[in-house]
Amino acid sequence: MALLELKQVSKNFAHANGTLQVLDSVSFDVDEGEFIAIVGPSGCGKSTLLRIINGIVPMTSGQVLYRGRQVDGINLECALVFQSFALLPWLSVKANVELGLEAQGLPLAEREKRAGFYIDKVGLDGFEEAYPRELSGGMKQRVGFARALAVEPKVLLMDEPFSALDALTAITLREEMLDIWQSPDMPVKTIVLVTHIIEEAIELADRVIVMASGPGRIVKDLKVELPRPRDRRTETFNAMADKVFSLIEERG
Amino acid sequence: MFGIEINPRRLVNSSLSFVALAAIIALFFAYRSHAQHLIAHNVPVSIEHLPYYAFCSFYRMLAAYIIALLFSIIYGMAAARGGLYERILIPAIDIAQSVPVVGFFPAAVYFFVALAHGSRLGVEMAAVFLIFTSQAWNMALGVYEAVKTIPDDSRGALESFGARGWLKFKRLLMPASVPKLVYNSILSWVAGWYFLIACEIITVGPASYRLPGLGSFLWEAAENGRNFDLCAGLLTLLAIIVLMDMIVWQPLSAWAEKFRYEFAASSGALQSLGMFDALAGVGPAVMRAIRAILIPPMSLIAGALNAIPRGPQLSPDQSRRVGAVVRTLVIGAIAIFTAWALVRGLVALIATLSQPWPSDAKQIPAAILASTIRMTIAYAISLAWTVPCALAASESPRFNRILSPIAEIVGSMPATALFPVIVIFVIQVTGGMNIASVLLILTGMQWYLLFNLLAGVNQVPEDLKEAARAFGLSRYARWRKLILPAVMPSLITGSITAWGGGWNALILSEYFVYKNQTYQVIGIGSLLDAATYKTGNGVMILLSLLSMILVVLLLNRLMWRRLYNLATERYRLDY
Repeated sequence: MALLELKQVSKNFAHANGTLQVLDSVSFDVDEGEFIAIVGPSGCGKSTLLRIINGIVPMTSGQVLYRGRQVDGINLECALVFQSFALLPWLSVKANVELGLEAQGLPLAEREKRAGFYIDKVGLDGFEEAYPRELSGGMKQRVGFARALAVEPKVLLMDEPFSALDALTAITLREEMLDIWQSPDMPVKTIVLVTHIIEEAIELADRVIVMASGPGRIVKDLKVELPRPRDRRTETFNAMADKVFSLIEERG
Repeated sequence: MFGIEINPRRLVNSSLSFVALAAIIALFFAYRSHAQHLIAHNVPVSIEHLPYYAFCSFYRMLAAYIIALLFSIIYGMAAARGGLYERILIPAIDIAQSVPVVGFFPAAVYFFVALAHGSRLGVEMAAVFLIFTSQAWNMALGVYEAVKTIPDDSRGALESFGARGWLKFKRLLMPASVPKLVYNSILSWVAGWYFLIACEIITVGPASYRLPGLGSFLWEAAENGRNFDLCAGLLTLLAIIVLMDMIVWQPLSAWAEKFRYEFAASSGALQSLGMFDALAGVGPAVMRAIRAILIPPMSLIAGALNAIPRGPQLSPDQSRRVGAVVRTLVIGAIAIFTAWALVRGLVALIATLSQPWPSDAKQIPAAILASTIRMTIAYAISLAWTVPCALAASESPRFNRILSPIAEIVGSMPATALFPVIVIFVIQVTGGMNIASVLLILTGMQWYLLFNLLAGVNQVPEDLKEAARAFGLSRYARWRKLILPAVMPSLITGSITAWGGGWNALILSEYFVYKNQTYQVIGIGSLLDAATYKTGNGVMILLSLLSMILVVLLLNRLMWRRLYNLATERYRLDY
């Protein structure tokens, strides 16, 4: 059985004059341990889709099943990483990472131990007491990753996690995150990544789901069979990138 | 754009809310007869009691502020939940804000004196209530705005972890409200002092009641020409205000910066008093002290709250259902109480207004016109000096650094304390109460305008100023193309608050009793005062107060709100 099943998910937003359909019957499955990338032009509803999977945005119609069961409200087995980092400016790095653990009602000692472990894991050792405003963009997103990983989710949802970073920082962080994902002591194996960068999707994911906008819908579900680690300069990589690009281009 | 299109639904809503407000005011006034039990009470005034008086005034302020703080957090957060809460609570604040607090004061005294069976406690409660009404609304709106503007992602980050209730309040809603709450607290204290001084002297029909406090002390000293006492009283007041600023507001403002989102523009918080930089070390120490006092009981409460749901181990679904039941009960109780007050109020309103109207009622339209002209003159004078000051502050950071702290200190000094001195002086020099009255209105208007303008000037982004200079714009062109448009929203906000302050000052300004002689001019404020203090005619009190509120509401709806929408639409800095 698939870990996540999306069935005919649609979403309308109430608008000043009428309603706006942002998602039109989106269906796909995510298997356990799979790394899925959703690519599409801006405005195709891919970020909304991620929030629907998590349950913080309600869908208009359709179903999201987790292990075959419908989740009422927020799916606490998922954790979100935001493009804008979404760190609380008044909390230290450690307190930000502990946020999800606090919501779970874990005792203080356990919280501190786990937060420390994941802060270490993302390479922020020594910055526990720093505040987000004192960190660079790349470091902030590391906090974002640590916060999501700390709740030890079954599914990691990433909403354009590298898009607010400069190109060089993005490359480093992308590689590090891939390493963390592949390391044996990481509990989270299933990832849904939303991105508008085609190369990023092909480099990281097992499967690339291509979306078109107006209203947002799936145009193609592609398996990426390239061996890891993937090299962006190979011909097969570029051929695939071109294919995805033309799919978006003609439907955009 | 100024064509008055009338939306019938909004017209009905506005009329209904005005009637509801009138009913509630009438309900308060219905307790008028009880106030006769109030015994005239005059504390002997002498200089050795000054510290005691200062303490009395301060604790009145503090009591009102603590209530206003709790109220604003609950009210603002409830309104920010959206839906029906928002649709009821926000217009209600809008209406409440348009009641000139001073005009409503006698009604509050009647009500609370009746409640306390004629004892001094009733008068104290009335004073605290009055100060509360001058402090609460802007703070509640501040909390509402802060919670409403929490970025979706921050909210999403907490919600995706399933954080609700106390945790969400502690980690997200409350911290996000801190900057606006601190900023509005400073403004609320300024407003509070202004009214405190005015409400320590209460005249109910023939009985005059003086609460021991700085206000009554100053008033009496001025009335009896004891200049030394007057100066001592003013210095005490100044000392309290400066000390408060140094040991409370400055450290709090600095601390509040921690709770600001990085990308949000500075709120234009009042500049801290540069002249006291030497005492900067006091700030953190005070913060530590405040936290040391507040944190243990807070965490006790938090611990207790955390313990409740964990005892019987409710499932999220069950606890949601329990929450819903509790909420329904509380809201139901409030709704029943409100309905009861409205019905009783309507009965009182109809009973009062069906009495024969006195012949004075015919003067109301002319009085309103005269008062509005006086307000307009005072507003024009305020604009004439505050706008150039703000422009100068935009040119010279040095001038800004000097002006801001001085304005903050002078603006915090309640001008009401000086009313006797001003009136006596102006009448002796010019012989006209009209000039004195405009001057007094000015004291209630000008600072709001200046504070808002300075905040607006500080918000103009530095790169826009650089661009204007880089393209060689002349000073005049810079003002016309950049500074004035950029401060337009602040100017309108400032104007709305200034007019609100002005209406209050108006009631104190048009009618003045000094050494048993009455100085008065034609105006709605003097009609209200004469009815309250001289004739005691209930119909006339209600009529003049309600017509004044009606004018305030009409001006807000027809003019200020439109201007505000226009200004924020066209001159918002969100490039």
